[in-house]
Amino acid sequence: MKDHLLSRAVPLAKHLLVFAALIAFWEAAAAIGLIDVILLPEPHQIAASIWDLYVENRTIYRHFFITLYEALGGFLVGGALGLALAVGSSLNDSFRRYVSPYAILLNVTPGLALTPIVIAWFGFGYSSKIALGAIVCFFPVFVNTLIALTRSDAETLEMFRSMGASERQIFWKLRVPSALPMIFAGFKIAITTALVGAVVAEFSQATAGIGVLMQRLSFSLDMSAAIAALLSMSLLGLILFTLIELLDDRIVFWRRAARMDAVSRKRRARWTGEREKQSGKPQGRRRST
Amino acid sequence: MTDSSDLGPVPPGGRTRGVIARHVAILVTLLAAWEIACRMGWLDPLFFPYPSAILVGFWRLYVTQGNIWPHLGLTMAEVLAGFLAGSALGIALAVCVGLIDRLRRYLKPYVIVLEATPRIAIGPVIIAAFGFGWTSKTAIVMLVCFFAPFVNTLNGMVGVEPEKVSMFRSMGASKLQTFRKLMLPSALPEISAGLRLAMASALGGALVAEFIASNAGLGVLITQYTGTLNMSSAFVCVLTLSALGYFIFRSMEELDRILVFWTDRDRTARVSRRRLASWRARMGDDA
Repeated sequence: MKDHLLSRAVPLAKHLLVFAALIAFWEAAAAIGLIDVILLPEPHQIAASIWDLYVENRTIYRHFFITLYEALGGFLVGGALGLALAVGSSLNDSFRRYVSPYAILLNVTPGLALTPIVIAWFGFGYSSKIALGAIVCFFPVFVNTLIALTRSDAETLEMFRSMGASERQIFWKLRVPSALPMIFAGFKIAITTALVGAVVAEFSQATAGIGVLMQRLSFSLDMSAAIAALLSMSLLGLILFTLIELLDDRIVFWRRAARMDAVSRKRRARWTGEREKQSGKPQGRRRST
Repeated sequence: MTDSSDLGPVPPGGRTRGVIARHVAILVTLLAAWEIACRMGWLDPLFFPYPSAILVGFWRLYVTQGNIWPHLGLTMAEVLAGFLAGSALGIALAVCVGLIDRLRRYLKPYVIVLEATPRIAIGPVIIAAFGFGWTSKTAIVMLVCFFAPFVNTLNGMVGVEPEKVSMFRSMGASKLQTFRKLMLPSALPEISAGLRLAMASALGGALVAEFIASNAGLGVLITQYTGTLNMSSAFVCVLTLSALGYFIFRSMEELDRILVFWTDRDRTARVSRRRLASWRARMGDDA
């Protein structure tokens, strides 16, 4: 146990050491005048700004949660649309043939170019940010789901067919489970792009949100606070990404051995419970083993 | 990182004349429905311009007024310069990091944090640092284009099988030879994918930079047209960008085919024939 702790603590200590050395180097460079502190403030100023934004003035929270809602909303709308259209396309060849050119058109257009138009359509409020987020995160979900659902192992498919599985069973028991990992990979790309969409829409036209905060701070040349806001955007990105990763871990449980064991144990417990209920009394054979 | 470009296997009956005719019919129906919806007042033409007005807008912007050209040129220049600088920097840095094992280990946490940050979000900070001109836009595009090649190159170099490395070493290959003949070729498919990703985001980066603060470029043009509710012209700009995006996408695919020629059998055969010919010519000179 102690060895285990030590083996993790030593690399961590080294990382911290490297980090401290970098910060010290940065401080020294600023002190000598190698770095223009107006454009790239010293680390201690950034730390002070973080303290100011999070603890003393607490200005960041409102903006933080607004951007979080916008990004999540955009992801939900765009992801749902992408998922629905991809499932439709995977089930029906002609639907797919006539939908895919428009999907490709949407893909080659930089979605962010639509920012001013989306704002003109949906107004200055949250809805325009959600809409832009949805537009930019639609394609990753669509393309990953479509590819994952249409690509399937021919042998397994044959196996399912020869066992007399219906199309519905093939879809739910074969195509969907084997597509899930790739669909989640699409979600992971999509959620960060939804965040980008929300922030860019905020740059263009908004009254609140981290994008607005950053723009305000950097145009008033309060660079340390702007960098603090930027770091909180990284935090936001990490939170959203981790959220999807957690979902991934829950839903695609068979990828990790430990989770797979836990789930199969649970399923077996439920299964034996049902059998006991059906036969009315505990099964002796099972107990003896 | 992977790139999401093609839509998987094409459904059977791909490119017959009937299919194309139906595609066109659907497009025409959609456009006609849009036009009718506008004329009947179901869609507000102030926000959703008539398709016919967009067509007229193309003629106006490209021919009679011709005012889109300088903006288009500027945006393209920003995209190209930023892409070249950013991806070159990304690949070079990744090669350095990939060759030095220890550096990679300590750099990893920073790369993760940078990956989680929406790159374009740095826009305002960079504009404050570099001013409103085209340098700040190029810098933003550079930043946007930096990461995908960096991460992919690093992944590709790390992914080289250790057995092959030790094989090279046991045959007495120098470090440079191992790099040039083993690590670079095996990383090239991923590097090329990274370049494609970078190029795909470069256009968006340039536009956002122009939205934030600028006085010329397609992004500015779109903002101006939308601000004055001249939506048909704004749509012309957006469709121009679509065409540009498509062109970029195709040319990156072509680049991929040239760089990673060995994934395609015909291309491999052609390249090796050419190499054989040049080798023979050289040997002939010697003899």
